[in-house]
Amino acid sequence: MKVLVPVKQVARLGEDLVLEGPGPPQAEGWELNEWDAFSLEAAVKLAEGPPGGEVLVVTVGPERAEEALLACLARGADRAARIWDPVLEGADPLAVAAVLAALAATEEPEVILCGAQSSDAANAATGVALAGLLDLARVAVVDAIECNGDRLTVHRELEGARAEVLRVALPALLTVQTQINEPRRATLREIKQARAKPLVTLGLSELGLDPAGVLAAAGSRTVALAEPERGEGARMLEGSPGEIAARIAELMRADAGAL
Amino acid sequence: MSGVLVLGGLAGGRLPAATLEMIGAGGALCEQGAGELTVALLGHEPEAHVQEVNVDGVAEIVTVAAPQECFEAHVHQAALEALIGARAPAVVLAGHTLDSLGFAAAVAARGRHGFAGDVTALSWSERGLRARRGAYGGRLIAELEFPGKETVLLLLRAGAFEPAGGAGRATVARLDPELEGRARTEHVEFREAAVGAADITKAELLLSIGRGIRDSEQIPRFERLAELMGAALSVSGPLVEAGWAPGALKVGQSGRTVAPRVYLALGISGAAQHVAGMSKSQTIIAVNSDPQARIFDIAHYGAVADLSEVAAELERLFDRREPAG
Amino acid sequence: MARDPRHDVLFEPVRIGPRTMRNRFYQSPHCTSFGAELPGAQAHIRGMKAEGGWAAVNTEFCSVHPSSDSRPLVSARLWDEDDARNLAAMADLAHEHGAIAGVELWHGGCVAGNLETRLPARSVSQMNDDSLYSTSCYELDKAGIREIQGYYVAAARRARAVGFDIVNVHASECGSIMQHFLMAKYNRRTDEYGGSLENRARFWLETIEQVREAVGEDCAITARLCVDTLNDDPRGIRAPEEAYQFIQLADHLVDFWDLQAGGWVAAEWAGDDAVASRFAGEFSHREYIAAVRPATRKPIAAVGRFTNPDTMAEAIRSGVIDIIAAARPSIADPFLPKKIEEGRYDEIRECIGCNICASRFAQGAPIVCTQNATLGEEFRRGWHPERFTSASNAEKTVLVVGAGPAGMECAMVLGRRGMSAVHLVDEQDALGGSLRAISSYPHLGEWGRVTSYRRVQLDKLANVEVILGTRLDAEAVLTYGAEIVVVASGARWRADGMNGPTQSTIPGAEHDFVHTPEQVSAANGAIDGDHVLVYDTDGYFTAVGMAEMLLAAGKRVTVLTPYANFATFMFFTGEAFRVNRELRAQGVEIVPLHLLGEITPEGLRAQSVWAPDPVHWEADAVVLVTQREPRDALYHELRADPDRLTQEGIEAVYRIGDCLAPRTIAENIFDGHRLAREIDTPDPETPLPYLRELPDANRERSLQESIPGGPPAMRT
Repeated sequence: MKVLVPVKQVARLGEDLVLEGPGPPQAEGWELNEWDAFSLEAAVKLAEGPPGGEVLVVTVGPERAEEALLACLARGADRAARIWDPVLEGADPLAVAAVLAALAATEEPEVILCGAQSSDAANAATGVALAGLLDLARVAVVDAIECNGDRLTVHRELEGARAEVLRVALPALLTVQTQINEPRRATLREIKQARAKPLVTLGLSELGLDPAGVLAAAGSRTVALAEPERGEGARMLEGSPGEIAARIAELMRADAGAL
Repeated sequence: MSGVLVLGGLAGGRLPAATLEMIGAGGALCEQGAGELTVALLGHEPEAHVQEVNVDGVAEIVTVAAPQECFEAHVHQAALEALIGARAPAVVLAGHTLDSLGFAAAVAARGRHGFAGDVTALSWSERGLRARRGAYGGRLIAELEFPGKETVLLLLRAGAFEPAGGAGRATVARLDPELEGRARTEHVEFREAAVGAADITKAELLLSIGRGIRDSEQIPRFERLAELMGAALSVSGPLVEAGWAPGALKVGQSGRTVAPRVYLALGISGAAQHVAGMSKSQTIIAVNSDPQARIFDIAHYGAVADLSEVAAELERLFDRREPAG
Repeated sequence: MARDPRHDVLFEPVRIGPRTMRNRFYQSPHCTSFGAELPGAQAHIRGMKAEGGWAAVNTEFCSVHPSSDSRPLVSARLWDEDDARNLAAMADLAHEHGAIAGVELWHGGCVAGNLETRLPARSVSQMNDDSLYSTSCYELDKAGIREIQGYYVAAARRARAVGFDIVNVHASECGSIMQHFLMAKYNRRTDEYGGSLENRARFWLETIEQVREAVGEDCAITARLCVDTLNDDPRGIRAPEEAYQFIQLADHLVDFWDLQAGGWVAAEWAGDDAVASRFAGEFSHREYIAAVRPATRKPIAAVGRFTNPDTMAEAIRSGVIDIIAAARPSIADPFLPKKIEEGRYDEIRECIGCNICASRFAQGAPIVCTQNATLGEEFRRGWHPERFTSASNAEKTVLVVGAGPAGMECAMVLGRRGMSAVHLVDEQDALGGSLRAISSYPHLGEWGRVTSYRRVQLDKLANVEVILGTRLDAEAVLTYGAEIVVVASGARWRADGMNGPTQSTIPGAEHDFVHTPEQVSAANGAIDGDHVLVYDTDGYFTAVGMAEMLLAAGKRVTVLTPYANFATFMFFTGEAFRVNRELRAQGVEIVPLHLLGEITPEGLRAQSVWAPDPVHWEADAVVLVTQREPRDALYHELRADPDRLTQEGIEAVYRIGDCLAPRTIAENIFDGHRLAREIDTPDPETPLPYLRELPDANRERSLQESIPGGPPAMRT
């Protein structure tokens, strides 16, 4: 079984932000997207089960993103690919999905596992967009996966700590929620040996894409990036304890399900 | 392309409260010149809900019947694609929900539409649509535009828009796209989540108590209140140091980092080490008797009040109702 | 993170007479055992605090004359110019870092045992005092009083001559001749220095006045005063009454006040000065200071084991004090003020109130700190708490097995020294090792700060990975891929009753109603049986924790110990009196001076230390708190096959902390710290020698020869 795991290296912002226009702010450091540690672990587990398989991690990112790929190779991935072109700087989920779709088409994995969202943009869209482009069956936000031959049984997360149990035939794409498993930690030896595993760098042309096409696929363009207004502080609730409690109860339920 | 299409997806046979917020948002866009407002009801027996969305500003209500009772992502994808094909809207609004996460981005990618999720504000001008959303875990606000996109699909955050109300005079229509056989997942059953020891990092709602509760004897009372509210109980550092609560419940830099939908902080001053562990919570509500408490700097809502009195009122309220969720 | 504007008030300068403190942080005089005889150690421990942002740093209590010799406890001294020259190093280093330096002039009166100088003690009245050595003294006549006052003046002059900025006339902690004059409990004089409150204050007032006259133009003058003796004795000092009046009487003589409550002398420990965290939190003496606040408009400095800048800022804003005085918090983190100033709140290393620092002084040994391994090592080992050199073997990777105090500290320092990768692995699902259970003992919650601090710092180190919930056996360690392995696997309490006093096990320890402290902890005290006997040969906090946990679980508790007192080590930490009193008040039966010989289901055979006749005890369960043994099987297994180590690329295997030898948390943290500091020396396992400040024998000899008629033995 071949499992494709798209991963993202996300920026860790420092205390003081330096913003220059709508482009991404200066990062203090970079780390693997939290959700991707879980999707990677789920992939490695699937590939470890019968009938065996391989895990390919792929990321859309510049050279620094190789560190994230190495971390994945240390934790059980077999191969890695990094795709980059300057036009992909700050790419939105749909543009990334278009690029990943081109790679997926060449690899033809049985399963694609994506993190349910990334900790920076949190659109929660790349995986499902990718599934759409590949016309793959998909389930978004699963917190349990079981492999039964040529189909997967998954738990789709619902509001209120409930879940829906679904079956989906392969090939399929799943977006994976955190806490679905315990991501394994790599030993120092595994970290060192990761460098020996295959890691390829690809440009757009190698995937049959061109910058204009990628730009056209993008779903949005960021025109401004700013810090939220400071000093707003809390919206103060006035009144008697009873009135305050009532308002709190309302706020707690404001996002809840049905009318 | 013109007009705004609000996708009112049914969930569990009911129309989510957030639908009226989307209609409100859509209505505002229409007033700004985006065209006419159409509300599509998608799900099982959608006709039953027509009057619920027949509110001020809605020009047309379209029902699309799904063949099965439960939500199915691929069916909804096909239905939405059909709606977009039929109505050619400039803007499609859906809620940023677990259901829509299963198909909205796919529709946008396949149709080469504009797209943004978890949107908290939007506007329309001659330049077209502009949307606002958080970025970098909410540390920044991003303004988005969608140049060259005839249709833009947005997922709106619940609670961020004013709901529409009043009475409308919408026309009602039906759309019957071929949805039979479009499902690609098989529903097996629903399941309640395993009720294990509360892991505060997984809780959707957190009731968090701090030194303001004064007395360790109060802890069982707050445990009970948390249960009534359907929330998990968490604590700030000083309570663990005082031996009143175990370390597993501690929220903070040297404890757990949490990001629940709602974080209700009672008697917590908001020291930096604590805030580091909960600042990404979606909605932070703080009650503290000290108006200077730092927690009010980062809370979304606050109340300067005696937390014991507020807690008593909350007990009364939640005792009457069923637990949330 | 930017500094919270609420804390800005802490960085306002404070004018104290002719001097100015650049912020409100005052390192309160505290003991180090360095005195004037280890000038390098003294200068650097204070200098480090000055560098860390304390606006004023002080010596410990500083004897003004050989008739006040505190041996075996070590004080500073200003007996002669040589002492002054030695202490000058401290003043210089403080100034270099922008701080002012203070000396706390002390004469102990009857409290001074004079074991070194052999001079007769003298005080306010002829008495046997209530200190540890219950010294007898003679009553000073007026000439004697003038002499003593002269000693203070001479010492103050010496201090000024070498650059000290603050002169503090000590009348506190119940260990000062000044305080004995003030208190009717000791002052039985019938002349103008005894009787009424004004009379009792006379000696003190005159002394401050004379000191002020001598050096007041250049030095800030303060008087450290005990405002409440915190016990029931009606002859003590009470804040709202006598202390209030004392302050009013002396107010015109001081530039600021240094106020405290409680004592640090034997019988007065019931009302502690340096309160341990098991009894109280921050600023627990606030009400006493507040009671005297209205008596003066001069700035007031007071201690309260302040670690939280919010508490500090509130104390200042409320007006109850003007200067944050701190001893233990400055010990745990010399850089506390700087960290607050720069908004580096999460780097603050908070005092845990264990009083290990005081316990070393109380034993005549150099000061140490559980939280701060560099404390006391600033000079003799050249360790800086905030600076770490890059390791010359930084390309190596390290595996630290065990994330208890030693392992966490070692990994943290290795990380700071730039080792390319450090993996800290523990089988438990959280950091802390043995400290997890210990910080859950009743009242020891603040000890958890040892773990919280390290957790945050480890998290920040990009080259350190913390891996929890993972048990590594020898094979896993061998194949882990690290070049350096540090085993920090801790210790366990022995279940067989093996103990120091008898060097034997206890027959019957294998019965299932006999428990170890780990078992009692895991059950949170709820073991089987109503009456539990705790046998303690450890003498420190574990048996106390057991007794408290069992009490809380509703048990009837008996404590048996061969020592003269239960929790005997706590006499050094100042906790023994209150712990014993409180446990007795809660119904714990404490049986000292008994050895436990045998355990059977029918009963326990004990015997008095003085007589071999068996004494029969009964209990439903027994908890043995005798001794710990290292959990070092992993270490030995790794070392057993050197060829395999080479084959796997492992260059060194070290062990640190309890798994080497079970010790206090402070020593375990030190152990881990030292190994990391010295990981790139030729033989890291062997500690490098440290600088010893030895007296120069030749100098001593030539000094003696220069004294006419000096001791014949010196003349060869």
